[in-house]
Amino acid sequence: MIAPMRSRVACAALVAALACNAGLEPTTACQGICGTVTYQGHLPDSLRDSTAAVLIVAFATFPQTPGDLLRFAPSVAFVDTGGPPRRYVLQVPNGTYEWVVAVWEKKSSTPLGPQNADSLLREVGFYRDAGDTTAHGTGRARVTGAGADSINFVIDFTNMHRICDYFPPCPQ
Amino acid sequence: MTRLRLLVFLATAPGAALAAQGNAVLLGSVQDTLGQPLRGTVRVVGSGLAAVADGRGRYRLDVPPGRVTVRIGHFGYRSVEDTVTLAAGDSVARDYRLAAVAVELQPTIVTAAKRSQLLDQATTSVALVSDTDLARRGVETVDEAVNRAPGVLFLNGQVNIRGSSGFVQGLGSRVLLLVDGVPANQGDRGGIDWDMVPLGEVERVEVVKGAGSSLYGSSAFGGVVNLITRDISVGWHARVRATAGAYANPPSDVWKFRNNTGGLGGLDVTGSYGTETLRGSLTLGGRHSDGYREQDRSDQWETAGKAEWLPRPGTRLVASGAWTSHQYEVFPTWCVPGACDTRGQAFQPFMIDNSGLGSYTRSNKGYLAATFDRTVSARFAWQARGSWLRSHFTDYNPDDWSVSDRLGAELRGVLHVAGGDDRVVTVGAEGAHTDVTSDIFGDRRQAEVGMYGEAEQRVGRLRATAGMRLDHFAVDGGPQATVLSPRIGAALPTAVGTWRASAGRGFRAPTLAERYVTTRAFGFEVIPHPDLDPETAWSFELGNGAPIATWGRLDAALFWTEARRLLEPTFVLDSGVQKIQIRNISRARLRGLDASLAVSSLVRGLTSSIAYLLVDARDLTTNSVLSFRPRHVLTLGSDYQWRTISVGAEFRYTSRIERIELEPVFGRDPRVAAKVLDLRAGWQRGPLSARLLVTNALNYIYNLVPRTLEPVRTVSVVLRWTY
Repeated sequence: MIAPMRSRVACAALVAALACNAGLEPTTACQGICGTVTYQGHLPDSLRDSTAAVLIVAFATFPQTPGDLLRFAPSVAFVDTGGPPRRYVLQVPNGTYEWVVAVWEKKSSTPLGPQNADSLLREVGFYRDAGDTTAHGTGRARVTGAGADSINFVIDFTNMHRICDYFPPCPQ
Repeated sequence: MTRLRLLVFLATAPGAALAAQGNAVLLGSVQDTLGQPLRGTVRVVGSGLAAVADGRGRYRLDVPPGRVTVRIGHFGYRSVEDTVTLAAGDSVARDYRLAAVAVELQPTIVTAAKRSQLLDQATTSVALVSDTDLARRGVETVDEAVNRAPGVLFLNGQVNIRGSSGFVQGLGSRVLLLVDGVPANQGDRGGIDWDMVPLGEVERVEVVKGAGSSLYGSSAFGGVVNLITRDISVGWHARVRATAGAYANPPSDVWKFRNNTGGLGGLDVTGSYGTETLRGSLTLGGRHSDGYREQDRSDQWETAGKAEWLPRPGTRLVASGAWTSHQYEVFPTWCVPGACDTRGQAFQPFMIDNSGLGSYTRSNKGYLAATFDRTVSARFAWQARGSWLRSHFTDYNPDDWSVSDRLGAELRGVLHVAGGDDRVVTVGAEGAHTDVTSDIFGDRRQAEVGMYGEAEQRVGRLRATAGMRLDHFAVDGGPQATVLSPRIGAALPTAVGTWRASAGRGFRAPTLAERYVTTRAFGFEVIPHPDLDPETAWSFELGNGAPIATWGRLDAALFWTEARRLLEPTFVLDSGVQKIQIRNISRARLRGLDASLAVSSLVRGLTSSIAYLLVDARDLTTNSVLSFRPRHVLTLGSDYQWRTISVGAEFRYTSRIERIELEPVFGRDPRVAAKVLDLRAGWQRGPLSARLLVTNALNYIYNLVPRTLEPVRTVSVVLRWTY
């Protein structure tokens, strides 16, 4: 009884030790907006097959109209739908960005446009700065020559928001 | 007839001489149960009289006539006690056989109460690093040896006991280092030169956890580390230790910084000779390391000596000293974009910031100490010591230097009121004078005096202690300070182990460097603050140490420290410019659990240990996590011995440091949890031993303090010959 238990413990210790080798790794220098996204919750199974992409974009000013939502900075970072924390890089020009947001996009046979954005896109997380008390609690990313690194945030698939949540009312 | 008279004279002469002196002799041998000789200690209970058996297990102990109880011990063996009645002039032979136990249940310690006592009698937690641990780990430096002790964690050379010190860029230590009881923290910076004493000189290490200022004064804020050097045996003895090894190359090509593999090596030679009354030893050594990072080479030369004079029973004069000269290239911080060619990387952990190119340090340090011990009777013993400690560093790029001399003296008496351990009173006085000459600290002097007393009383099974120390500091150009440090404690043996509880106050006086430093760091000017106050803490502990059947020992303690006026570097606005200054800014609370389990005997030849430290450290001033305190430290170790061969492994997990100081400079740097696996194998036959060590076997790349890479995988072989 003791011998199998000991071997199981030894096995577990070995596996744990071998699984440990995830220290510092080479990291590309940040040119633009960079950071790490971590995942909370799982993408619902019902959405798995209909997922086109999960992407991160940055807005120089917080969108004022639904139409502004498609006028983000000219860089997109694609990330996974789950798994370990994932580094992203948005190669955007120097400047201040008011909203860095992760978006889930649904597969569609028609091109994405203002008319179908509400049905195809969901906000799944954005960069927040606890010290920033502006509307939406968002954090500004100030990109200088050295880039804006550590713009880290959480992607939460259990808390997806429609565009109409930002620009109500939502259609019934 | 003449020959017969001569034989009778020779046979009776020692006894006649002893009778004339009024003493008796206890002699014999100490062996294990297989008949192998042990260098065991034979100690007269309730007095300071003791003898250490030689390499053949033989001992000889002069004792006062009458009924004496002796305790025979050896680390790793179960102690035995024997009561012998001797008349003046008697010469009684006693042979002792000790049974091996992987866990020594009753080791003797000397640090917790500034006198010899059994571990279970201590009212505070004490971790031991034995000579067996030191040999098994095959480490090169003292800090490597101490680093794996339960409750201890080093952050880039700065020792933390239960999260006491954090990391303050080398300025100040909240742990006091002793070498054979002599304080050895630097006179100027208050830090610890772990390379001052060659590791081969160290027989064992005692780590006393929690505030120890009631006996030791300043710096014993979070604990005390006492390096106890080897006793010198009678006869000729020698020891040679040679090391050779290599560092792993960076695991990624983009981090590669040299075309060759870095190596390391060292050689230490010790010779000693001793008679019954006079003994001496001398160690010479040197080591070289190419380092595992760019600009990381070091060369070190060291020497240490010790002389003992034992003119009569109960009287001992020990003079010891060590000197180390260490030249090492300085790796200030790793490289980030703009500071070197990072090859497109966010950071280059093996390469340095170009501003530090060419930086190196020459660090010379040493001490001389003389200690006189006199056991007047079974009731009273006293000790006097004097010491001189020097540290001298010269930095190149930036060019800074400092020379500090610290002269210290102490007089201490221990009274066993009834002749035994039932009531013991320890009193003493200690003084030190520090003289610093430096281009960054100025020409400074500090005088300090302290008086202390502690009493221990046994009431039934309970041992209660109470004591306090009064310290006074005078710094030229700064305010004077007086600090009172009381402590009470109790130890109670029960059926479920020995319970211990203590409450005590610790403090640390600001170092001369903290008060007067004027330099630049990380691009900011560092400005002095002469009016700093001592930082203080109340430390509470409740612990239990219990044997588990015959196969293990569990020790666990809950601790709680309330710290005030902690000295921390902080950004200040001076004339509209951001500068760094040391200030008494933080109130902090450190609380947690310090537990360890040592297991043996479940499988023949196998010993294992688990140690876990949980630290909940809060900065009460900012209501945030206290910087540089990892929350979890887990250490797992296991060794298996089969005949002359041994194998072992040790794994340590240190959780990611949640907060660091100087966030505006380093806040965005990557930090990860540390997961380090060490492997070892050994072979021993007679006087020869060989050990293969692979430290950080998984080549886990990590840092604990900002932009400072911790050691990569290192493979080394240690050969040792003992005569």
